[in-house]
Amino acid sequence: MRDHSEIISHTTGILYPFIILFGFYIILNGHNTPGGGFQGGAVLSAVFISRYLALPVNDIKLKNLQILEKIFYILIVGIPMLFLFLQFNFKYPFWNEPYLIAMNVLIGMKVACGLSIIFFRFVFYESR
Amino acid sequence: MTRFFLILMIVFAVLAVRTRKLRRAVIHMGVFSLISSFAYLLYSAPDVAIAEAVIGSTLATILYLVALQKYKVFTIYYTNEDASGINDKYISKGRGYILNMIEKFCISRELEPQVIYTTESLEQIISEHQYDLIVRQRDNRAFIYGHKENYQLDSLQEYIYTKRDRDIDFHCVIQKIEEED
Repeated sequence: MRDHSEIISHTTGILYPFIILFGFYIILNGHNTPGGGFQGGAVLSAVFISRYLALPVNDIKLKNLQILEKIFYILIVGIPMLFLFLQFNFKYPFWNEPYLIAMNVLIGMKVACGLSIIFFRFVFYESR
Repeated sequence: MTRFFLILMIVFAVLAVRTRKLRRAVIHMGVFSLISSFAYLLYSAPDVAIAEAVIGSTLATILYLVALQKYKVFTIYYTNEDASGINDKYISKGRGYILNMIEKFCISRELEPQVIYTTESLEQIISEHQYDLIVRQRDNRAFIYGHKENYQLDSLQEYIYTKRDRDIDFHCVIQKIEEED
């Protein structure tokens, strides 16, 4: 993996948008087709992994990713509390589907951040 | 159909356990989890199938391969402090002996030894290079230095103490280096 080839970097460059598109498709359709936040997030984190295969450069700020993951975690805990305890699901029933989609998106983002943190931490720091 | 894939799963699981080379075992594991994800699909659990395909056969396989890549190349620095005596027959015999032993150990561990001969001093190597093992030879004594967190060191010590030839008068001392960051 240290001597990365031209072919791999070009093909992963072409594949990038399709992986992102597929991940968001899985997340956004998670509430009525197979898939959901976790699976889509795992697909999204594959973007970072393929990026590592294309060019192994350590220019990602893990600190920012960690802060982002914590923010997503607080949102994941906080939004359902607001939504359910204030009984929005009975007052405004048409908000139920956007609520599910938003939660799926949040979970997907959190999983993508977490898996890429694990991967980069593993690849660049745990050397011995 | 389902039965065929289940049998295939068993076959790949046995292959993954029985192969000699770790890299091949990792690939067998990846194929195994891909087939198992297809079996989940046949049992009409597409949700689990997607998760298994993404996590099991992609992320886990890549992580294992990266780990193998990291631990495979075993860099050994060989340094001889009194460089004038490097052509001495006795010393070269001892050098061949100790390096041979380490290389045999590496092969038994599926590592790829990479020996680098230098005349630099120990402190220079520690501060400037990426090393796994440093062998320093002084007359008929060999000092083997390794990093404190190197997990191969204990097994290497055991290997040398059990396999060494009693006829050759040759001392090995293994020390662990603690680096302050």
